[in-house]
Amino acid sequence: MSAQSDTPAIRQAVIIGGNRIPFARSNGAYAKASNQDMFTAALDGLVARFGLQGQRIGAVAGGAVLKHSKDFNLMRECVLGSSLASDTPAYDVQMACATGMEAIGSLANKIKLGQLDSGIGGGVDTTSDAPIAVSEGLRSMLLELSRARSTSAKLKAMSKFRPSFLAPNAPGTGEPRTGLSMGDHQALTTKAWNITREAQDELALASHKNLAAAYERHFFDDLITPFAGVSKDTNLRGDSTIEKLGSLKPVFGKSLGDAATMTAGNSTPLTDGASAVLLGSEAFARENDLPMLANFVDFEAAAVDFVHGAEGLLMAPAYAVARMLKRNNLTLQDFDFYEIHEAFAGTVLSTLAAWEDEEFCKNKLGLDAPLGAIDRSKLNVTGSSLAAGHPFAATGGRLVATLAKMLHEKGSGRGLISVCAAGGQGVVAILEAR
Amino acid sequence: MRKTIDLERVPTLGSLYAKALGDRVKELLPGAKTSLLVLPEVSHRVAALRPDRDQLVAYQRLMGDTVREELPSVFVHGLVFPVAMSVLVRDDFPLPLLGMVHLANSVEHFRPISPSSELEVIAYATDLREHRSGTQLDMVAEVRQADELIWRGVSTYLARGVWLGSKPERVAVSHDEFVPPRRSASWSLAADTGRAYAAVMGDYNPIHLSALSAKALGMKRAIAHGMYLAGRTLASSAPHEGGYTWSIDFATPVFLPSRVDVSFIESVDSTRFCGWNAKSGKPHFSGTIQRL
Amino acid sequence: MADKYLELVNSGFTKNLAKTLGLPRPSILRRYEPGAPLVPGPVLLLGGSPQAQNISDTLLGWGLDVRRHAVGEGKIGAIILLLDEVSTPGELSEPMLAAGHALRQLAPGGRVVSISRKALATDAPALTATRSGLQGSLRSLGRELRGGATANGVVLGERVDATAPSAIAAVRFLLSGRSAYVDGQFLEVDTTDGELPANFEKPLAGKVAVVTGAARGIGAAIAATLFRDGATVVVVDVPAAGDALAKVANQVAGTALQLDITRVDAGAVIIDHALARHGKLDIVVHNAGITRDKLLANMDAARWDSVIAVNIESQLRMNETFLGAELPGLRLVSLASTSGIAGNRGQTNYAASKAGVMGMVTASAQAFAASGGGINAVAPGFIETEMTAKIPVATRTVARMLMPSLMQGGLPLDVAEAIAFLASDAAGGINGQTLRVCGQSLVGA
Repeated sequence: MSAQSDTPAIRQAVIIGGNRIPFARSNGAYAKASNQDMFTAALDGLVARFGLQGQRIGAVAGGAVLKHSKDFNLMRECVLGSSLASDTPAYDVQMACATGMEAIGSLANKIKLGQLDSGIGGGVDTTSDAPIAVSEGLRSMLLELSRARSTSAKLKAMSKFRPSFLAPNAPGTGEPRTGLSMGDHQALTTKAWNITREAQDELALASHKNLAAAYERHFFDDLITPFAGVSKDTNLRGDSTIEKLGSLKPVFGKSLGDAATMTAGNSTPLTDGASAVLLGSEAFARENDLPMLANFVDFEAAAVDFVHGAEGLLMAPAYAVARMLKRNNLTLQDFDFYEIHEAFAGTVLSTLAAWEDEEFCKNKLGLDAPLGAIDRSKLNVTGSSLAAGHPFAATGGRLVATLAKMLHEKGSGRGLISVCAAGGQGVVAILEAR
Repeated sequence: MRKTIDLERVPTLGSLYAKALGDRVKELLPGAKTSLLVLPEVSHRVAALRPDRDQLVAYQRLMGDTVREELPSVFVHGLVFPVAMSVLVRDDFPLPLLGMVHLANSVEHFRPISPSSELEVIAYATDLREHRSGTQLDMVAEVRQADELIWRGVSTYLARGVWLGSKPERVAVSHDEFVPPRRSASWSLAADTGRAYAAVMGDYNPIHLSALSAKALGMKRAIAHGMYLAGRTLASSAPHEGGYTWSIDFATPVFLPSRVDVSFIESVDSTRFCGWNAKSGKPHFSGTIQRL
Repeated sequence: MADKYLELVNSGFTKNLAKTLGLPRPSILRRYEPGAPLVPGPVLLLGGSPQAQNISDTLLGWGLDVRRHAVGEGKIGAIILLLDEVSTPGELSEPMLAAGHALRQLAPGGRVVSISRKALATDAPALTATRSGLQGSLRSLGRELRGGATANGVVLGERVDATAPSAIAAVRFLLSGRSAYVDGQFLEVDTTDGELPANFEKPLAGKVAVVTGAARGIGAAIAATLFRDGATVVVVDVPAAGDALAKVANQVAGTALQLDITRVDAGAVIIDHALARHGKLDIVVHNAGITRDKLLANMDAARWDSVIAVNIESQLRMNETFLGAELPGLRLVSLASTSGIAGNRGQTNYAASKAGVMGMVTASAQAFAASGGGINAVAPGFIETEMTAKIPVATRTVARMLMPSLMQGGLPLDVAEAIAFLASDAAGGINGQTLRVCGQSLVGA
């Protein structure tokens, strides 16, 4: 082949490192903390770890899934409150639980294209300090009142007030188009793929054990900065047992009766937290004497039609991975680590089952052969969301930083990230050790 | 050939219900209406119906639909319903309106309809026939724009306990036991669902408004409007790019408040749907949306 | 945390009240500020050493007004007693009395600094008696000074004269506000090693320094001081203190390293971080330390062992790693404590660790000198920190006032200044020493 090519040489986007605050169960340690408080803390910890004080970073991108309207410029406000140079631009991204992945991926692309030399991507979420809206009735009345010019029009608007308007509207985790909670959606998928209760509990137990072991070997010393007196994820139960998990009652898919298998133990609890990842070009890393943990090779988003039951709500990553593997000329077995976000144990197991299923891979993914099984000892080896918790937009940053460090420790190989998201979406990514 | 009677404007449902109520009282008077069951050979027509944009937006919000430049099929039904009603409350209409049960709807929505359209509406009653519990008939409404038929709806009603001939032998009807399919969605219907629909579409039928008003008409609680259920279904599944038909059959009423589980099963050209009580599993409605 | 008493007796009505009642009135100490004069007035240089001219020239070079005889009535900023040549006790009379005569003119925050030679067991008894005597006399003089003035000395080793870089640097340190809470102490200069900085305001320019236990208190002050003096600072603390550590790092534009220093690989982690991120490692400050006080009769193994593990064993282990890495010119400063010198009730474990530190620096000096570096310790007395803020008010007020000549507790900054000095290349001739920063007290925490 000639050396000529249509595409110019593309730079590497390198993961330099990450920082997150410990994740805390909802209405617990961070009950009084706002999204801005938490992401600023995550940023400041990252700045401290890498000595970025007063530096202008190419861009800070990230977001929150549950956001107050006053936080319309959340990332920029966080930058202004951080130790970064105040001329660092920032923008908000929102893609449900894939917010962090999308933010990091888009920064990586900009770095590869030479548009940016450095970037910080991540996310934050709180279900404790969640925005609460006034009722639709009160909102309509107030809007009409603000439009009213004359006193009589104002009185007319106010006459529409009903005491029931005072009931506040808290955001739910239900899908707007189906009214089903994410757990109830996953329960359908879990059942469709015949995932057993035992398999889900085993995955949950492994998550706790792996996370506890990673803490034990100081793995997180340079990935986490304490916040509000918390230095470890508060959901972690290193002493959990299969018996304890087995004793919990199903909470999702209860309409399935005896077929209900999803408990509070094998589902991720509502969590508060924030994470941030520093990326840069190789030159940026070298000039600033910064480590290079891994290359951000590629990422892919997918979406499925869950509204009419054609596919499970959280199955989009199964599709995204197939497309991304093809584009990169890789097989599912070409990875040394798999980071599959544990929204629910059932999500991970359904995805793995789908990849092994000939019919699914043929009919849904359009493949000649199934993607196949993975070596389970390479799955979520330092724990995942079931143990650490899942502050929606913050999970992507946790995964990227964790995997990048694991790859760097190993010194070679590749890692796969898979994150499902509300709205039937998912983002997956490939990292490569350096 | 039916005689066409032009209405100046679309009548308000309130006045129609008031008339229906008056008729009901008259029926109770001795020697009132003869029981000769013949449908009047008339069509009621409104020559120029202009959809109200505020009402359209309120409807789209109520159904959780996107506000777009297009009349939802069930919204069109709501617009023409009073014209159909005006036929049902005619003095020469043989069946009592109040207490009639809405059994099914079948609609042909030939193409997307712009909210700026000027619509001609014609409604008439037809096909009086037997039903195992009484007598049923179809109310047909047709919507034209510049002589092009763009929407045609058939609503089937049942007058319980009214017989065309002699009361037939009670036939044992075998009901297949309903097994809820895989649910795609779950609707939480609040106690004020009926009032919210009435506020938008002007349909203040007492059986939808409150437990008290429903009880007055023999219902144990307020029930969800059938068109509200159809509206929610179509809001999530109706195509926007071309014509389609849809039909819905009502099995049992949805007593408010309630949680209704819904299933959508899609194939290439159609979506089959059904809704059932999330608690008891009893079926409420089922139907199909078919692309043209 | 602030010393309220100190504020009260130095301002307004309460100042007069304190005067009338004859209450002790500690002075506000003269502390270093970049750009401020080195001493608050002319320097009186006493003593007839042949080095007098050289010293005088050096002082003149720093822009000081140097006097060889007391003159007039004006205030003087410092008295330097150049007594490196005295050999009999009788020879102390003239310079000491001359100094005494000038004391009334000593400005608040003034300094008395002696330059003498080390008293050795191998010298003639009269010579050693003279040199020892001078130190005793100067310590007593320290206790007579008021107004935040201090008396300290530089002690020259056998083959070192008063113009050795570290002798000069030590004199400058003792004259300056950097030594505000150092009183009654002697800095020994044993070699002619060391190099004076190009810029005395940035003596650590270009240096990479690691400070352990830097999340708060004295450690945070050390990081801030090293940064002020020009160093790039790596701040280290346990992961659980990471949030406070990040704040310190961001204040000093340094990097935060969350690390439990009792880990066996702690030294290697520190070296890796410093080399990878900053290209080298010049200074290590072993500041991390804990207290687990209990009377020995009530002491349990957990309290004893944890204090020993953190305060001394970790340092010994890390030092082995640092030595093995042969980092050129590495200077270490360890935190000791006056508890390790005078003892302190309830601190048998702590005192073991802190006296241990002093032993460690003595015994490690030669090994570090081999690669051009050195190791010293600083022993703080009563320092106002979050830790001491927990002591009951009455006890605290008594502790900070009654014992030290300076009648007050020191600040974390005072400790940090001593550390910054010992960490600098200018202190290259000082090795294996422990410098007390105690306001001339005997007890401390």
